Amino acid sequence: MSATAFQSPAARPGTSSFVRPLLRGVRSLAILLAVLLAAEGLIVLFGVKPWYVPRPSLVLNAILATPEPYVQGFLRTLAETLMGFVSGALFGIAIAIVFFRARVLRELIFPVFVVSQTIPVIAFGALVVLWFGNTLLAKAAISFYLTFFPVTVNALLGLESVDTRQEALMRSFGASRFQLLTRLQLPAALPQIFVALRLASALSLVGAIVGEWFGDTVGLGVLLLQGMYNENVVGIWAAIAMCALLGTGFYAVVAAAERALVFWGAEQ
Amino acid sequence: MNQTVAPARSGRFAAGFSRATLRGALGMVLLVALWEGLARGLALPAYTLPSVSAILSSIFEHRQSLLAAGAYTFAEALMGYAIGALVGVGLAVVITLVPVTRNAIVPVATSINSVPVVAWSPLILLWFGIGMPSKVVMVALAVSFTVFLSALAGLDRVDRRSVDLMRSFGAGRLAILFRLRLPTALPLIAAGLRVSTVRAIIVAIVTEMLGAYDGLGWVIYQAVLQVDFVRVWSAIFVASAASLAFFGLVGFAERRLVFWK
Amino acid sequence: MIPRRTFLSSLAAGAALLSTAVGALPALAADPVPATLRLKWLPQAQFAGFYVAVAKGYYKAEGIDLTINPGGPNILAENLVATGADTFGLSGGLDSVFAARDKGLPVVCVGIAHQLTPFVFVVRTDGPIKSIQDFKGKKVTTWFTGANHVLKAMLTKAGVDPALVDIQPQQVSVTPFVDGQIDVVTATRYNEYYTIKTRMGEEKLRTFVAEDSGVTFPRDTLIVSETTAKEKPEMVKGFLRATIKGWQDAFKDPKGAIDTVMKVAPTLDRAHQEFMLTEVQKLMTAGKVKEDGLFWIDMDAVKITQQLFLDAKVIAKPVDLDATFNRSFLEAIPVAERRP
Repeated sequence: MSATAFQSPAARPGTSSFVRPLLRGVRSLAILLAVLLAAEGLIVLFGVKPWYVPRPSLVLNAILATPEPYVQGFLRTLAETLMGFVSGALFGIAIAIVFFRARVLRELIFPVFVVSQTIPVIAFGALVVLWFGNTLLAKAAISFYLTFFPVTVNALLGLESVDTRQEALMRSFGASRFQLLTRLQLPAALPQIFVALRLASALSLVGAIVGEWFGDTVGLGVLLLQGMYNENVVGIWAAIAMCALLGTGFYAVVAAAERALVFWGAEQ
Repeated sequence: MNQTVAPARSGRFAAGFSRATLRGALGMVLLVALWEGLARGLALPAYTLPSVSAILSSIFEHRQSLLAAGAYTFAEALMGYAIGALVGVGLAVVITLVPVTRNAIVPVATSINSVPVVAWSPLILLWFGIGMPSKVVMVALAVSFTVFLSALAGLDRVDRRSVDLMRSFGAGRLAILFRLRLPTALPLIAAGLRVSTVRAIIVAIVTEMLGAYDGLGWVIYQAVLQVDFVRVWSAIFVASAASLAFFGLVGFAERRLVFWK
Repeated sequence: MIPRRTFLSSLAAGAALLSTAVGALPALAADPVPATLRLKWLPQAQFAGFYVAVAKGYYKAEGIDLTINPGGPNILAENLVATGADTFGLSGGLDSVFAARDKGLPVVCVGIAHQLTPFVFVVRTDGPIKSIQDFKGKKVTTWFTGANHVLKAMLTKAGVDPALVDIQPQQVSVTPFVDGQIDVVTATRYNEYYTIKTRMGEEKLRTFVAEDSGVTFPRDTLIVSETTAKEKPEMVKGFLRATIKGWQDAFKDPKGAIDTVMKVAPTLDRAHQEFMLTEVQKLMTAGKVKEDGLFWIDMDAVKITQQLFLDAKVIAKPVDLDATFNRSFLEAIPVAERRP
């Protein structure tokens, strides 16, 4: 689906907007199936040991044998990701508006934000547990921490790209600052914001997974760790597959929202 | 306020730079003061939050070992970064030269990327061991996709009419690539490269914390086990400084190379 | 589904809080007090007894509503217990307890699970190493989290200068040893050893045990904060009593215990978990446990281990053993009830 995002707008037809994605979906599925089958064949052919790369069918079997932790893990990680993503996106946009309005605040605080993003979250896992305990909130907090910054940067960029003449025109009609924001500035910033949201969809998932490494029982991150420390490569692949499913699905939803909302084209 | 900004725009690097820098520095100073005040005022134990002064003096005391660990991590990040950048730009160029490959490369790259980078780390550690190679691979993995996407967007951005024009003069694909596409794409590629710097160092550290022989992540891991939280923070500070330096360096190179931006 | 469950449980917890706040009547004090246990690692049979005790309601019977929080990389039970984020901790071992006390963390050790060094050094029988002396010049991998000091002590006792041995931090994976890239690998008896054994066959392996060299390194320590030890001694006693009952049941009915663990972490390999429980039982019932009961703190072993860490300069000075180790909670339980 990201392939479309980078095609030139001219190549994107306005009609048959429902058939196209469907076809693309079917094609991607077909490619995926082909790749998996090829992998299965090659692994059997060359006798690759399962502790390097297991056959895809083994991975599928592992998931089907005990579907419960995978389904529960998927749902739990999804919930954490969504919490982090939504709070991060809202905070990111809100703080961008604040920065946009108050240059002093922006110059004071923005560097602190930049520095904060250079800190590896995993390094203060213990602190996060200390502050938030073993709750959903702890994972959502890490997810939030990774999400808000790109949104702030892009929203700010978008807000500043507003045509000053349009702004002057609206002012001359007596538009209030709030109207200016909701009618002109935010819609103008939307394409930029969505570029960041697509990136943030992946980052929020990373945050949720890393958050689950700090002592939890349910979640895809937990399954990854268990697989790693028990040298259960099949288990790792099964967890990776679930992560891929979650990541792709979430990305697709954000991209679809982008197509629906930013119909005037999301050129970077 | 607006009036002062307008004339300052011409001398952006002189006036604007210094004022923004001053305020930024002030913001950092305020943060440090707040931190120091909290840690000292509430007499927080080191395992909750050590004071900045304690961290800085610990950094000074252990400067040699921290520098060595930092250099190790930086080397991993740099190698992975270089490989990732080459792979990313290379794939985008291949797609531009041989358009048929787009349908194969883009879906595969997207599906690899749909798995969060950290999810690959257990597998990469099992495959490549806990030495340098696993970190280099992880960083390359993290960097290549970001660079690939921005390079592809940049290469695609070229005006179709310019391509047609060059073609009509008999220019081949390679000529169009070097004369037209790459120069047009450079600002976007550079932006992708700049964003990837911080990521490269963080991914190296995160992977080190799961298993390593050396590096900042290894220092953090060991320090946590020895309940030495001042050392944990020291390593975090050094990592942060390394990221900022890397970011600044690439940004500087970008301004030099992409002067027409 | 899970989020809703946590939501409901937090609602319930809130209601419980409210009810204790509203009706501070002694009659209501029978409500189990919420408490948490932080494990040193992810759920597995190594912790079977705790899960059994929860499943059978032994903690509830002692008036404790216990939640088990797993560990993970980069979180430390000592830290979480010292700060009060968790009530109890099954922490790394004497290594982490000493380090924590050395750094001034107010934690108290109230029991030790593994009476023996839980890891061994493994070589292949068809290789050149027949004795510890043969480690000289060979490639050895170990964990730099305590096992390295045990190794160095064993080498020194055998008259080998540790500097002459190529000691490297150990992989996440035992594959390099299986593939023959390294000569000696460190393996916990219940985890890595199982993986190596299933890949290579037990007859191809020779193990070196720390206790044979007069070194010992008891691990898996039960800790509480100084505050808890002082203010809630009854709760600590109740916790220990329930824990010991849980372990006794786990040893009596290993199959049922593994069922309980597998319910918590269904992706685990059952055969491996059964092996783990058998090995853990050996570690937990060794030494003086037959007379003095499970989780007994053998002060002689503690002193040997402390000397090990002093020699390795991991801790700067001897810790206050009386303040660090408190056997009174165990001793409050009749010894007959504590024996395995």
